[in-house]
Amino acid sequence: MSDSKLVACLKHWQVALMVLLLVASAIAIGPRFEDGKFTTNLQYGLDLQEGTWLQMEFKAEVVGFETDRAVEDFVADLQKQLDAEIYLIDENKLEIRGYYPEETLRTIFSAAGGRLTTYEQGVSRETADDVKRILENKLNALGTKDARVNPLTGLSGVSHYIRVELAGVSLSQAKEIVGTQGKFEIRIHTTGNQTEHVLYGDTITTVGVPSHEPPGSPVWGVSFTLSEEGARKFQQGAIATGAVSNPDAHYLDMVLDGNVVYSAPLSADLAAKLAIEPIRQLYASTGTGAAGLEAAKNHEIHLRAGALPVDVTVAGSGYVPAALSDYFRMMCVVAFIAAAIAVGVVIFYRYREPSIVLPMIGSNLTEIVILLGIATLIQQLDLAAIAALIAVMGTGIDQLVIITDEILHEGKVPSPTLYKKRLARALGIILVSAFTVIFAMIPLALMDLSSLRGFALITIIGVVIGVAITRPAYGEIIKEILSK
Amino acid sequence: MGLIGYDVNKYTPRQMVMIPMVILILSLAILGYNMATTGMPVRPGIDFSGGTAVTLFTTDTPGQLEQKFQGYPLLSVGEGVNNGKYLKFGPMDDASLQALALLIGAEYPDAKIDQIGASFGKTLQEQALIALIISFIGMAIVVFLAFRTLVPAVAVIFCAFTDIAMTAAGMSLVGIDLSLPTVAALLMLIGYSVDSDILLTMRVLKRQGKLEEKLSGAFQTGIIMTTTTLAAVAAMWVVAFAGQITVIWEIATVLLIGLVLDMMNTWLTNAGIIKWYVLKRGGK
Repeated sequence: MSDSKLVACLKHWQVALMVLLLVASAIAIGPRFEDGKFTTNLQYGLDLQEGTWLQMEFKAEVVGFETDRAVEDFVADLQKQLDAEIYLIDENKLEIRGYYPEETLRTIFSAAGGRLTTYEQGVSRETADDVKRILENKLNALGTKDARVNPLTGLSGVSHYIRVELAGVSLSQAKEIVGTQGKFEIRIHTTGNQTEHVLYGDTITTVGVPSHEPPGSPVWGVSFTLSEEGARKFQQGAIATGAVSNPDAHYLDMVLDGNVVYSAPLSADLAAKLAIEPIRQLYASTGTGAAGLEAAKNHEIHLRAGALPVDVTVAGSGYVPAALSDYFRMMCVVAFIAAAIAVGVVIFYRYREPSIVLPMIGSNLTEIVILLGIATLIQQLDLAAIAALIAVMGTGIDQLVIITDEILHEGKVPSPTLYKKRLARALGIILVSAFTVIFAMIPLALMDLSSLRGFALITIIGVVIGVAITRPAYGEIIKEILSK
Repeated sequence: MGLIGYDVNKYTPRQMVMIPMVILILSLAILGYNMATTGMPVRPGIDFSGGTAVTLFTTDTPGQLEQKFQGYPLLSVGEGVNNGKYLKFGPMDDASLQALALLIGAEYPDAKIDQIGASFGKTLQEQALIALIISFIGMAIVVFLAFRTLVPAVAVIFCAFTDIAMTAAGMSLVGIDLSLPTVAALLMLIGYSVDSDILLTMRVLKRQGKLEEKLSGAFQTGIIMTTTTLAAVAAMWVVAFAGQITVIWEIATVLLIGLVLDMMNTWLTNAGIIKWYVLKRGGK
């Protein structure tokens, strides 16, 4: 192509926009050599990166109900029957934080003078976000380099599952980190080995990182904060058991999943304060030196683990070793290049004209680069996403063929008015097929079919980029080339 | 262009739809038989039935592997090139699973393990089915809005359905399980399928000119579209087969079957129906 034609092409805003986005995407992807290795900003999902995924199921339900009684009374009655926390999350919706089959609940609801109207296993969006935050905190505290936690929320707004992806962590490690969630409890010794329940971990509102207390001393420990209710319970418990008056005879135990993870007396200072008022800001000291720091780190996790409001079980899991993920990544690149070459050969066989074939392939690949550029911001690439990329390339080239054939109808170079009409007609066909693909993919993008969401998103974005940017741009380019 | 020596104008509509209809009936029979015997039209993979899949590279023979995993519900051992092995286990309890993961981790540190609980699999299966149905309805609505005439729209939708049904039957013949990736492939087929159908319908209904010319023009464009896609998918298939990437290989196989069937469904079924429709209207 001569320089003047190149300039003429760029004068069309569609072409200019495409070039601009291409450059921006190339920068976003940022291909470079680092330590002699080729790296980019693309985020890889599992399969293409070593790591583990865990999908956990909430042991809880969101149920709808009807009752003629006052809602508070009704819920209070339910609470007596169910050994689980119950929250009113909507006018007529309850979140029950324990697993009960639908039939059991139906019976209990009737007995309490109401009716169960809907039943869905899972938790409300808010609770799911809480769990997500707690897990993220925990994972970050452990220094897990790359962790993703996503509640999978269905169309009804109920999260049945939460998916955790941990890069560079083995399956057993991952399960240890997230799978063994337990209930945290504080108990105080009464007489002998007897202990009395004081509070559960859900009243712990914040947990600090290991620190020295008082600052500058060699003693390590973790600070944590109780809610007002928790602080009140703590004070009452400490007074009732006698820990306030005689701390050394009434040790305080912190229990995680039935195991005592920490046991120490109240400090004299704290005991004196508790005798007067509830204290929210507490500190658990763990000793001095490296051992103290290590214990403090562990204790921090224990305190956080206790804050998970809903029990979870592992519903599915998977692990990809580094050797395999590197191999997959390489093979994906090979598959992609092979597919691109195959497309090029067929197109060349059909048109035999480099001035048509090159812009065609060029705009097709541009589309992929722009798509990858956008993907760096929103979507990690896994095998399903790669399949989507190849699908986008396939529909992309299909649609470019439609444009080319429509414009070159009967092999003649059309006049500008005819060209416009034909391009519009081609874009009409393309628009319809683009909409069908988008509509076909929307359910997947909205539903919680974990790995297929990426597939659907990449396909939809790819089709949108194609229809909005690269196809019109190709139409202008081909016009400039043809108008000899 | 002599890639395929088929003259879209040579046959009458009745002749055109004959072969696809026979194949469709056979396909539905296969799916129906599967449904009656197993409860699923296509055999579900572990994504949907629950279980554990393990990919590993080892020189151990399948017999040795069977011996090694004697205590576990090993269902099948698949073999590929490069010593790739693909093991499938049925559902098991948490303790066995943990033990299995440890055993595999110790013996084959480079193994890929995926485990799906039975109830989770069931949820996935329901969701995938809903996704397929909604996708199909969404596609149908767009097609209806685009054409706003009954026969051409129904023809396009019918062809998409035929593609999916025949491909599903093909999967069952070739022995590919229904899994999340293959559901994705079937959804991709909806997109690919309507592409050439829409082109055909638009060209025939909205262009001026003789029916024969419009049909063969659409055929020329349409066949090159499908051929390019087919070429890309075939390349993907070869690489995935040689490289033992099961997920991509399965997607590629399903697409290959689907695209070949789509050529038939577009240029026999849909072209037949649209030709009949135009001739009946007295168009030329």
